[in-house]
Amino acid sequence: MPLILTGTSGSTTLDSSAGLTFSDSSNQAAAASPFGLKNRIINGDCRIDQRNAGAVVTPANGAYTLDRWGVNQFANASKFSVQQSSTVPTGFNNSLLVTSLSAYSVGVSDIYAIFQRIEGYNVADLGWGTANAQTVTLSFWVRSSLTGTFGGAFQNDAGDRAYPFTYTISSANTWEQKTITVAGDTTGTWLKTNGSGLQITFGLGVGSNRSATAGAWAAGNYGSATGATSVVGTNGATFYITGVQFEIGSTATPFERRLYGQELANCQRYLPATYLSAHPGWCYATTGAIFAAPFAVPSRVYPSGLSVTPASCIVYNGALSTAIPSAIAWNGATVYEGNFATTTSAILTLGQSGGFTGNILWTGCEL
Amino acid sequence: MIYKLYKTTFGQNAVITVGVEPQVSFLFDPANTDYQQYLKWVEAGNQPEPAEEV
Repeated sequence: MPLILTGTSGSTTLDSSAGLTFSDSSNQAAAASPFGLKNRIINGDCRIDQRNAGAVVTPANGAYTLDRWGVNQFANASKFSVQQSSTVPTGFNNSLLVTSLSAYSVGVSDIYAIFQRIEGYNVADLGWGTANAQTVTLSFWVRSSLTGTFGGAFQNDAGDRAYPFTYTISSANTWEQKTITVAGDTTGTWLKTNGSGLQITFGLGVGSNRSATAGAWAAGNYGSATGATSVVGTNGATFYITGVQFEIGSTATPFERRLYGQELANCQRYLPATYLSAHPGWCYATTGAIFAAPFAVPSRVYPSGLSVTPASCIVYNGALSTAIPSAIAWNGATVYEGNFATTTSAILTLGQSGGFTGNILWTGCEL
Repeated sequence: MIYKLYKTTFGQNAVITVGVEPQVSFLFDPANTDYQQYLKWVEAGNQPEPAEEV
C-alpha cells in the first residue's frame, strides 16, 4: 500500500514499485546512490572523442576509439569500423556505433569486441578476489540491425578469470536498455592500483575458444558467451551502445550525469591533450627547440608517445618570426607534463627562447 | 607509412612517422598502441629509416 504524505502544496507518494513521486509529478524510481562516482565507467555516454572528433575509423586490434573505449579485431583486421554517433535513446546525445565491414565467419580463437578497462583504483572497493566481493550491476542502452542473443564478459587483467553474460535484442534498429547483475568474484587476482582492475567486454563476434557459458565465473580468457550473435558476421550490420553504467549493488540506477569538464578530465587521465598558444620553450639548435606542455590532470602513467599534426602548428623565434614545423617528436614526459622537440627551418637562435602554438595528444596512458 | 628511428635529446631510442598526418612518435613501450603497430610493420618485413639526433 502506498504511503501518501499530504501538505499545503500537494502530496508526495512513496510506493514500493513506483518509487517516490513528488507533488509536481516528478518521480524517483530507484534509490539514490549513497556514494559519489557510482558509475565506474568513464565516457559511458560516449560524448568525448578526443582522437577522432566524430570521424569514422577502422581501428587496429587493441586500438582506442572514443575516449576509454578500446577494440579487439583479432585475428584479422578491418572487420568493423567505429564512429561516435548522434543516434541515441532519449536523454543521451551520443553513442558508439560499430558497423560491420564484411560477412566474416569468426575463427575459433578470434575476438571482435569493444571494451573498457577500469583502472584498479576505481574498483578496488569491490573486494573482488576476496570473500567480501561486492555484487555489481552493469546497465546500458543498445541498438542493432540484428536481433538475438548477444554476449559480453567481465574479465580480470591476467586473463584467467571471466564472467560471460548474455542479453537479448528483441527488435531490430530499436534502442533497448539492458541490465546485467553479477555476484562478484571471490577468487582470482583483481588489480587495485593503476593497472586494469576490471575489463568489461561487449562481443561483436567471438570464437568458441574465447567464449564460455553465460552466468558463471570461469577460469579463462573469455570475452563473450557461447553462442552469442556475431555482428561481424553480417556485412553492414550496425551495433550502437551508450549509457553504459557499472555500479555496486543489484539494481541499475539512473545513469550518472557528470559535468562535461569533469568527464573530460576523467578521460584525459588516459589521453592527455595539450593546447598551447605561443607557449615558451628553448632552442638547442637553429632548427630545433624543446617545449614542456603541462597536463590538465595527472596522467595514469607517463605518456610514451604523442600524436600531432605539424602542419597545424607554429614555432616562433625570439623576434616572432614563424615556421611550420616539419616534425614534432616525443622527447620525454612525466605524469604532469609532456616534453617535445620541434624541427623547423633555421629560424631559431641557439640558447634563446622560442614559442609554440598547437595541439598535441599524448599516447600510451590507456589501460 | 614510413617509420624513422631517432634519439631524444635525453638519449632515449624512439620512433617517429614520416609523411603522414597526424604524425606520431613514441618510445619502445609495449603498452603504446602506436608501438604495437610499428612492431607489426617490422614483422611484415619493413625496416625503419636509421636514427639521427633530433
